[in-house]
Amino acid sequence: MGLPLFDATSDPGPSFLAFANASGLTLSAGHERDLSPHATTVVALRCDSGVVMVADRQATGGYIASRDVRKIEAADSFTGIAISGSAAMGIEFIRFAQLSFEHYEKMSEMALSLEGKANYLSPLIRYNNFSLGLMVLPMLAGWDQSRRQGRIFEYDGAGGCYERSDFATIGSGTPFAESTLRLGFRSDLTQSEALELAALAIYEAGDNDPSTGGPDFVRNLFPMMVTITEAGFEELPQEFAATTFRTILERRTASGGMAGGTLR
Amino acid sequence: MSNFYYVPQEQIMKDRAEFAQKGIARGRSIVAAIYDQGVVLVAENPSASLYKISEVYDRLAFAGVGKYNEFDRLREAGIRWADTTGFTYSREDVEARALANYYAQYLGDTFSNGSKPLEVEVLVAQLGSGSRPTKLYRIGYEGTISDEARFAVLGGDAESIRARFAYASIEIAPLATTLQRAISALAGPDRTIASVDLEVAILEDRGSRRTFSRIAEADFDRLRA
Repeated sequence: MGLPLFDATSDPGPSFLAFANASGLTLSAGHERDLSPHATTVVALRCDSGVVMVADRQATGGYIASRDVRKIEAADSFTGIAISGSAAMGIEFIRFAQLSFEHYEKMSEMALSLEGKANYLSPLIRYNNFSLGLMVLPMLAGWDQSRRQGRIFEYDGAGGCYERSDFATIGSGTPFAESTLRLGFRSDLTQSEALELAALAIYEAGDNDPSTGGPDFVRNLFPMMVTITEAGFEELPQEFAATTFRTILERRTASGGMAGGTLR
Repeated sequence: MSNFYYVPQEQIMKDRAEFAQKGIARGRSIVAAIYDQGVVLVAENPSASLYKISEVYDRLAFAGVGKYNEFDRLREAGIRWADTTGFTYSREDVEARALANYYAQYLGDTFSNGSKPLEVEVLVAQLGSGSRPTKLYRIGYEGTISDEARFAVLGGDAESIRARFAYASIEIAPLATTLQRAISALAGPDRTIASVDLEVAILEDRGSRRTFSRIAEADFDRLRA
C-alpha cells in the first residue's frame, strides 16, 4: 500500500472503519460458520470500584477446539472488550476495535469517550452479521473517565447498543450465567463480591452448557478474571482464579453437587 | 503567435525550490535528537493545540514544519499507513524507513509535477528495539531523504540551529541535558524561548507497547532546572 492521502472532501477522518471502507479494505468475508470454532460465555458486572468481567476459556466446534482462548481483551487501558460467536471473526473484531480506538486517538490527539467506543461497534456488528451471515456478539465494559464510574454495554444481532446498569452476559451459557447473576446481584456489590458472583455465574454456565468450559483443575486452566477501575484494565493472575474456583468447587462438593437453595 | 516562452528546467526547479524554502522559512524550527534512553523532539510552537509533533505508531513519531495543513495531511496519511500495515501483518513490521520513503516519493512527485511544491519538511523518528536501530529520517520539500546520525533539524533556520546544537552536544546525553541543548540551539544566543511556546515529546521505553509521550510544560520546566 502506498501513502493513503485524501483530499479534504473525501477524507474519512479519524474513523478507521470509514477509512477502511474508503480504501476498499474490508473485514474478511465468507461463510465461516462451520469452519471456525465458537467461543462462549462472558459476564460483566458493575460494582463499587467499576466493572468486573469473567470469561470461560473454551472454543467449541462440535468438539472442544481449544481450552485456553482469551475472550476478553483490553481495547485500551480503560476498556475491556469481550466476544462470543465465531472465534475467527471475534478475534478479528477485537483487533479491529483496538486498532480503531488507538487510530482515533492518534489522528485527533484525543481519546474517544467510552460511549463513543460503544456506539462505534454498532455498525461493525451490523456489517458482520448482515453481510456475512454469522454472529459475533461483543460486549464492551470500561471505566468512564468523565462520569467516573464503570459502565457496561451489550448489543443485539442487528448492532443495537444497550447500556446495562447492572450486569450483562453473552454467549451460549447465558441462561445459566444470567440466572445466577439475577439471583445474586445487588447494586452495592464490592469488587471482591462481584468477582465471586461472576465466577459462580461462569461456573454454573460451565456446569450446564456443553459449549462453556468450567475451571480445568487437570490442566490448571481457569476462566479469565478482569477488573476495570479508576486505575485501568487489570487481568487478575490465574492463581487468583484458581483459588476462587476451588472455593466454589469445594462448597459444591460438600453439598453433593447441588447449589442447595442458596448461591453457593 | 505563440504565448509560450522557453523556460529552462533548471530555472523552473530553482523557482520552485525558492518558493518552498520561503514558505518553510516563515515557520519555526524543530530539533529532534537521540538521548541515552530514546528520542526527544522539540518544536517551537506558540499553539498548545495545533501540534507539530505526533505519535504515528508504537515506536514511531512524526514531526513537520512549514504549512500546517500540508504537513498535517502527511501526518494523518502516516498514521493510516502504519495502522493498516500493523493490522495486515504484525506490529513489528511497521518500520520508519518504509514510511520515510513514501513521504520522500510523495514530496518529490509533488515538487516536480504538482501545481505547486509542498512548503513542508517532515521527520520520521523511530525508537530502536532488538535488532532495529533508533533512526531519524528527515525528508525535504523536494523529496530528499536523509538519515541523520544523532540529531536532525527542520525548518527555515536549520543551518545555524544545526551548528549550535552540534557544537553543544558532541556526545549522547541524558534527556534533561539534551532537551536543554535543543532549546538553546532553537533560541540562539540572543533570545530565550518561554516554556509555553515549546512543544516537547519523547519516544522512550517505559514498559508499555506505546512509547510516545508528550512532556507537559510543568514537567520540562523541572527537567530544565
